[in-house]
Amino acid sequence: MEYISIAVEAIFVKNILLAYFLGMCSFLACSKKVDTAVGLGFAVVFVLTITVPVNWLISHFLLEPGALKWLSPSFNDLDLSFLTFICFIATIASMVQLVEMVLDKFFPRLYHALGIFLPLITVNCAILGASLFMAKDQMALGEATVYGFSSGVGWLLAIASMAAIRKKLRYSDLPSGLKGLGITMITTGLMAMAFMCFAGISLEKKKENISPPAVQPIDDQRNPEDN
Amino acid sequence: MASAKKLLMDPFSDNNPITVQVLGICSALAVTVKVETALVMALALTAVVTLSNFVISLMRNTIPSGIRMIVEMAVISSLVIVADQILKAFLFDISKQLSVFVGLIITNCIVMGRAEAFALQNPPGASALDGLGNGIGYGIVLISVASIREILGFGSWFGIRLLPESYVPNGLALLAPGAFIILGLLIWLQRTITKRVED
Amino acid sequence: MREETKTLTFAAVICVACSLLLSGTAAVLKTRIEANQKYDEQRNILKAFGIKMTDKTAWPREKIEAAFEDNVAEIKTDNGLPLYTWSDDGATKPSKYAFPISGKGLWGNLYGYVAVEADLETIAGITFYKHEETAGLGAEIEKAYFQDQFVGKKLYEAGLPTPFTITKPGMAKGDIEVDGISGATLTSQGVQNLLRKDSAAYADSFKIRREN
Repeated sequence: MEYISIAVEAIFVKNILLAYFLGMCSFLACSKKVDTAVGLGFAVVFVLTITVPVNWLISHFLLEPGALKWLSPSFNDLDLSFLTFICFIATIASMVQLVEMVLDKFFPRLYHALGIFLPLITVNCAILGASLFMAKDQMALGEATVYGFSSGVGWLLAIASMAAIRKKLRYSDLPSGLKGLGITMITTGLMAMAFMCFAGISLEKKKENISPPAVQPIDDQRNPEDN
Repeated sequence: MASAKKLLMDPFSDNNPITVQVLGICSALAVTVKVETALVMALALTAVVTLSNFVISLMRNTIPSGIRMIVEMAVISSLVIVADQILKAFLFDISKQLSVFVGLIITNCIVMGRAEAFALQNPPGASALDGLGNGIGYGIVLISVASIREILGFGSWFGIRLLPESYVPNGLALLAPGAFIILGLLIWLQRTITKRVED
Repeated sequence: MREETKTLTFAAVICVACSLLLSGTAAVLKTRIEANQKYDEQRNILKAFGIKMTDKTAWPREKIEAAFEDNVAEIKTDNGLPLYTWSDDGATKPSKYAFPISGKGLWGNLYGYVAVEADLETIAGITFYKHEETAGLGAEIEKAYFQDQFVGKKLYEAGLPTPFTITKPGMAKGDIEVDGISGATLTSQGVQNLLRKDSAAYADSFKIRREN
């Protein structure tokens, strides 16, 4: 149940693209055609699902204050967290390379379909962003994996719908200055607004209402206009 | 020296990294709720892109092509970590507000993009200038977006109250959709002035 | 072979250069960063104790650090939870107690401190220092007008945690209710939940302390 809640939250409510603005560059560059958009989307899901848990392991067993104590008790107060960024990005770069090699060897068709997008994922900030959010929120390993996967799905959803909208936009009569980037940004804004309707959805609500003994039930009528 | 001026000034508007080259949009939106954070972010990015362009350009003839990307990443991330540590040590409150977005300078396409597109072919001096120009161009857009958002959303600019107390702050400007729409409109404005048309 | 040696040497040089740069910066700035974090925590605890430090010139950093040093002590409760005590100048018995509170808001976790008076029932102050709520709506929890309402309300009564409630805006009455924030019901509810959860965690040790 908790995992479903994390997934719903990461896909809809805190969509990594529409709420945190991550992965915008490739979102804008690759949303002109539906099939490239979907291909890139799947590649992102794939890489995110692998890198977030791997980065979790790295930060948990190597970087956090006292994380190295499994090696020797003398490392107890060693804090390497200032190396977080460089380790995360190195993991991402090498994971992307690894995924590339595995795909090339075993799934050549998928590999060719993704083409240039696979290496480009290294510099997609959604990947690094998800890892950094994971570290900041101190998730457990299972949560981190679900979070990585569903952030990817959220990104895929956003880029696929954007590509579909842009396909239609081509036939609309726009002021010349607004064509291309301008209208794409505004459309993204409207999409973000639509996604905001999901805010506040939580599947673990019942468990969360902690009440000390002898308490009246909390007013459950929520104002639909709330933030 | 005409070319040096061009290198520096071009990215301000005609070849702006955000509105024309479409690089580094992610952080342009996330840190622009207030002008203060936007300014610090712009300064951090300018420092990182200038230095990384300079360093990478110094190495451009010795870098083995096989590990080019990794080396660039290593240089950039080291510089970003240094910037992050300096922010934490001297501007602690602001670094708390920027949270993970300082780290995301690493994947900010401006840094990588300028390293690939310019620093690898040009001497260190010119590269540093190019980095500085792009950093400032990025800063201009960041601060314009932040100004609009802070004025509409808080009624103030740089923390100074501009609009009367009776002004009801427009929360939309502070939320994600507001950021997208404001940047979209800015791009429209800029392209109408420069007469640039995208097909 | 020559090509490979060159690549390897280059990679090694870069690695050494980067790690030297990073460890150097980390070593030089470490004490400063830690001091900043400690100062930030101290300032937040003092805020919960009801000390207004909005005027930056009247409250320079040294004064805040000195105030914390002189008046605040960090102890542990019987069940190992952190508790901060405030003793007025020269007094031997603490006159206020503060403990950390945290819980889910709408967008992310809320973190803060709440302080109670010497009776261990009445709230002396509350503060939130970290949250990810919407600016202008949920983020109002860090504003003085919201936090000031808590002062004088009862977090415990007769040794038990009260059913402390954040109501709809303008509906609060009595001494266990405060007004919620308009347009931020879910954030207000998060505050209510975390107050109930954390006050329950401290109930037993406060009971013992009260009886002594």
